[in-house]
Parts: sequence; structure tokens; C-alpha cells
Amino acid sequence: MTAPTTPPLVRMQSLHKSYGPAIQVLKGLDIEMQPGERLVVIGPSGGGKSTLLRVMMGLEKIDRGSITFGGKPYISSDGLDKKTNIDTEVRRSIGMVFQHYTLFPHLNVVENLILAPCKVRKERKSDATERAVGLLTRFGLAAKAKAYPAQLSGGQKQRVAIARALMLDPKLMLFDEVTSALDPELVAEVEQVILQLAAQKMPMMIVTHDMWFAKNIASRVIFCAGGVVVEDGPPEQVLGSPKEERTRDFIDRVFHIRQ
Amino acid sequence: MALDFSIILRFQDALLLGLWMTLKLTLICVILGCTLGFLVGLARTSRSVMLRAISSIYVEFFRGTPVLIQLFWIFFCLPLILGIELSNLASGVIALTLYMGAITSETFRASLKSVGPEQLDACIALGLPRRIQVINVILPQAVLRAIPTLLSNCVSLFKESALVSAVGMADLMFVGQNISNNTARPVEVLTIVALIYFVIAFPLTRAVSLIERRILAKLAI
Ligand SMILES: Nc1ncnc2c1ncn2[C@@H]1O[C@H](COP(=O)(O)OP(=O)(O)OP(=O)(O)O)[C@@H](O)[C@H]1O
Ligand SMILES: [Mg+2]
Repeated sequence: MTAPTTPPLVRMQSLHKSYGPAIQVLKGLDIEMQPGERLVVIGPSGGGKSTLLRVMMGLEKIDRGSITFGGKPYISSDGLDKKTNIDTEVRRSIGMVFQHYTLFPHLNVVENLILAPCKVRKERKSDATERAVGLLTRFGLAAKAKAYPAQLSGGQKQRVAIARALMLDPKLMLFDEVTSALDPELVAEVEQVILQLAAQKMPMMIVTHDMWFAKNIASRVIFCAGGVVVEDGPPEQVLGSPKEERTRDFIDRVFHIRQ
Repeated sequence: MALDFSIILRFQDALLLGLWMTLKLTLICVILGCTLGFLVGLARTSRSVMLRAISSIYVEFFRGTPVLIQLFWIFFCLPLILGIELSNLASGVIALTLYMGAITSETFRASLKSVGPEQLDACIALGLPRRIQVINVILPQAVLRAIPTLLSNCVSLFKESALVSAVGMADLMFVGQNISNNTARPVEVLTIVALIYFVIAFPLTRAVSLIERRILAKLAI
């Protein structure tokens, strides 16, 4: 393989993260992500997948390590003074969608979408609303523009959450088990929206337990367990014929449960 | 004995004046007390140990003593300590504001706490600055959630305000008592006074459940 000519989109180096002295969650992660990649992260419960995404989003402090985005360092800690430096300007290029929607319940759908553009980027309300309605239409939600989150189904809420993140034109999207709180019949509509983004070459990092979805969306799969990367490769390898014993056990178990 | 409720009509104006005083006092103390309560609620969730300690002592003290004692203390003791005259209106307002501040601070504290940490995660993920997080996301949810309990707090204040008659303020209770003493018709007069309190408080308590059903259910807050 030849070395990539462009700098990696994301480079994590020696990420360490613990919750108190007893719970070591990330034990020195080194992950590089190239532009245009769609990285699916799989692994056993408690393996630190959510923690990894939360660290990338700047929601958690780290003990040691650094992350660069587009060549620019934006999260770092030298492990000495327990301080995590976060460059919020760079972080704004990253969008995240959570498992439990986290829409703002007191704002209607359009208000949820335009809050950040208007308050952070000082976009005119009319412009932001126009963009919001455009996005909602694309996601089949035009009729729900004035609805409140509580009046939406889980699948609709999750699509609104994705649209809300997209309003800020992210250069990378993080999805943390965005379909696992949904009723089975609602999973497809959300996955369709993410596949639609994939078709437009949006770089993304996805944590999921849905192996069908993983196979369909991934350009690369990482199996994380015990706070380290156990296996890393194309989806056919990691999901189809894993090299590592632990990956194989996990894949067997997950597929077994799914049947 | 024969009941004659028509005697009330003779004292209509006096009763209305008393009611006006009660409503005025309640309204002033609702506004001042809610503001105080909000600030104290914030202080009780603050990171400063000092602020938390002072605000907790205040709240626990005022919740743990009878309002009548608080009122008497402010009416009789505070002027002695400060060496100034306090009108009975002023001491009534101070006492009821402190009472309202204490009970609403608990309401605000609970509602502030009920805005979950995932709302803050969403704010950070959207790059919202701290000021916007507080003003546009946390405050509105906390206030909406607090409304039903705040309304109940207002009803409590409205009823407790009758205590100011004990320091000679001419509120509804005071006027009612006077009329009842002077006419020797306590059954008619005190019943009517009780009814007036009820007719005002009852719709407010109904409004609580209405708001809970309509607004809060719609937003699922
Ligand atoms: N705020 C926290 N405080 C203490 N421990 C935590 C906290 N958040 C997560 N943990 C612990 O860190 C470990 C990793 O959690 P994490 O949520 O990252 O796992 P995960 O791989 O996303 O699991 P799942 O598949 O169940 O979502 C777990 O053992 C969890 O209990
Ligand atoms: Mg998780």
C-alpha cells in the first residue's frame, strides 16, 4: 500500500481515559481515519465505544494522548496536570448523534435545527429556517416542522437529530448506536438517512450493534475490546472472516443473537 | 339560631378593600419571592461551598419554623436590632417574601436538577456557548417544569398571607375578623371570608393540573 498523500482526517494517538482509578476505559488507542472513510466501531458492551466518540466530541476529559483533525491538534492532554485542552473551533467541524435523541423538548423541530446556526454562526433566522426546511424535506419530515419532539416517533426524532447536526455543515459525523433505542420497524428509516449521507461522501464514525447495517455502511471496521483496538480492516475481513479469535467469538455471538 | 348572610352586604366595601390588600400583598411577594427563590435555587446548586452553605441554612431555617414566628420576629425583633421603624406592610412583605423565597427555591432547585446531563451533551455537540446553553436550553426547561409547583407555592402564599392580620395589617382576614367581632355574627362572616379565599385559590389549583395535562404533556417535559 502507498502512503496517503493527504493528511489523515483524524489521528488519535495513545488515547488514555479512565473514570476514576479503578475504571480504565481507553488504554492507549491509536486510530487513523482517512478522508472519505466510514469507520464502523464494533465491540462488546462496556468496551469503551461510546467513551471513544464522547472523547472525540470533547464531552469527556482524557488522561493522556491527543487527537488531530485535518492535521490540526484539537484535543490533547500530557497526563501531567490533569487538564484536557480542547480547541472548540476545530471541534465545531464535528457533529454527533446520540442513542437517546437529545432533542430540546421545549423547542419545535425547526427551532431545534436553527438554534445553533443562529446563536453560534449568527446566521439570519430566515436563512437558517429555509435551510432547515430543505433538510427536513430531504429526510421526509417537512410535515413535522412545527411539531414538538414529544409528538414524534423515535425514528422521526432520530432523523431530526441527524438534521440538526447537519445544519452546522460538519466535516465528520459521529453516530453512537443511533438505532438501538428504536422499535425494530423504525430502524430502517434512520439507517436510510445515514446511507444517504454516506452516498454523499460524508466521513463518519459509527458505533452499532446492527451487523447488517455495519456491513452496508462501513468502508472499514474496527473491533474494540478492553480499551484497545483488537482488529482493524475492511468489512469483509472483520465481519466476514476475522483474523483474531476474540473478534470471531464476538461476531459469532452477535449474529447468533440476531437470528 | 337564624343565619342572616345579607349582613355581609353592609360590609361589602370593607371586605373588598381587605381582599385588595391580600391580593396586592400576595402579588408583590410572589414576584419578589420567586426572584429570590430562583437565585437561591441557583446558589444551592452552585460550586461554591460558601454559597451552598448560606443558601441551605436560609432555606432549611425558613422551612423548619412556623411562618407566624417568622412574621412576629421580623415585626417585633428586626426593628429592635436594626434600630429602625418598620411599617406593618414592610414587615409583612419581608416575612412573606422570605417564606416564598424558601419554598420556591426548592421548586427551582428540583427543576434545574431535572434537566438531564444529556441536554448539556447535546449543547456541547452543537458548539453552543455556555451563555446560550443556560439561557436557551436549561432555563426554559427548568421554568416550564417548575410552573405547576410554583402555582401551588403561590396558592400556599395566598393562604399563608392571612397571618399578616396578626400584626395588624388590614387584609381580608383582618377585616373579616373585625366585622365578625363587631357584629357578633362569626358564622356568616367567617364562612363568607373562607369562601372568598377558596373561590380564588381553587381555580389556581385546577390550573395546575390543566397546565400539567396541556403544556407539559405536549412537550413531555
Ligand atoms: N460517566 C461514567 N462514570 C463511570 N464509569 C463510566 C462512565 N461512563 C462509562 N463508564 C464505564 O466505562 C466503560 C465503557 O463504557 P462505554 O459506554 O464507553 O462502553 P460501550 O462500548 O459504549 O458499551 P455499550 O455497547 O454498552 O454502549 C463501562 O465499563 C462503563 O461502565
Ligand atoms: Mg455505548
